[in-house]
Amino acid sequence: MSKSNIRKLLVLGVVCLVIVLGSTWYANKYNEGRLVTPTDFSNYRFQFNDLPMMIALLLVIAYVVYFVFSVVQAGVRKEGLASPYARTISPKLGLLGFMGFLGLLGFWTYKTDKLIFPFIFFNFFGFFGLYFQGKMSHIRMDERFIENAQQAQIIAYKTGLLLMFLVASLMGMGLFAHNLEWAVIFLLSSISLIWGIATFLSSYLLYRYDQGEE
Amino acid sequence: MGAFICHLKRYRLLKDLTQEELADMVGVRRETIGRLEQAKYNPSLRLAIDISRAVDAPIEEIFIFD
Repeated sequence: MSKSNIRKLLVLGVVCLVIVLGSTWYANKYNEGRLVTPTDFSNYRFQFNDLPMMIALLLVIAYVVYFVFSVVQAGVRKEGLASPYARTISPKLGLLGFMGFLGLLGFWTYKTDKLIFPFIFFNFFGFFGLYFQGKMSHIRMDERFIENAQQAQIIAYKTGLLLMFLVASLMGMGLFAHNLEWAVIFLLSSISLIWGIATFLSSYLLYRYDQGEE
Repeated sequence: MGAFICHLKRYRLLKDLTQEELADMVGVRRETIGRLEQAKYNPSLRLAIDISRAVDAPIEEIFIFD
């Protein structure tokens, strides 16, 4: 996406935000907070003072549609102009893999607030693969590289599917059958971890194959 | 991958080309040419034809399959 398009998206986003904040202020000040506080739409009747909030809502929807369209269009264009070279990244980005340990926060948030979403962070372990991508930074993606990448992805996904099958089997055999919350935690952690493993493996195996260590 | 014998190195040296130069001519990496010369990589038909043209030798003399 070009810089001018990014700037346009940002400006429109800020304009939408200002309009939403303005109409929220207007609704709270002059319209008893209608359409800001939870509204029962079964008894809803249109009032002229609802108009600013409705316009803001329509603008936000239009902006989201435009945003998604622009991002998809930029993606399609980039695909068409695909570079024959692997992307240039620093192997140091592999350090982001340590963010996977944030998943352990889930045990704490579950204990204090019954929140389990931090377990999703286990999938950040996949970022360790960026280390190997960084080591293959900006190399020509010739037919051998593409063949190796496909082979690495197939093995990574097969491993992921096998692990998913094992998790499903364990749950089917009754693991955490008497504690639904722990069953959900186990499932969420496993899926996140497996996603991370598959992402890491596809980069790691590609590096190994590329170096001729089959 | 079927085993094969590769005489690419001989023909490349006859044309006085380095691995790097040949790789640039056929649009692959030097490492790929190296793997080909060791008969550790089975090239696509497209690449085999390009190499054959680059070193000016018939495919069947460069790559010999059992």
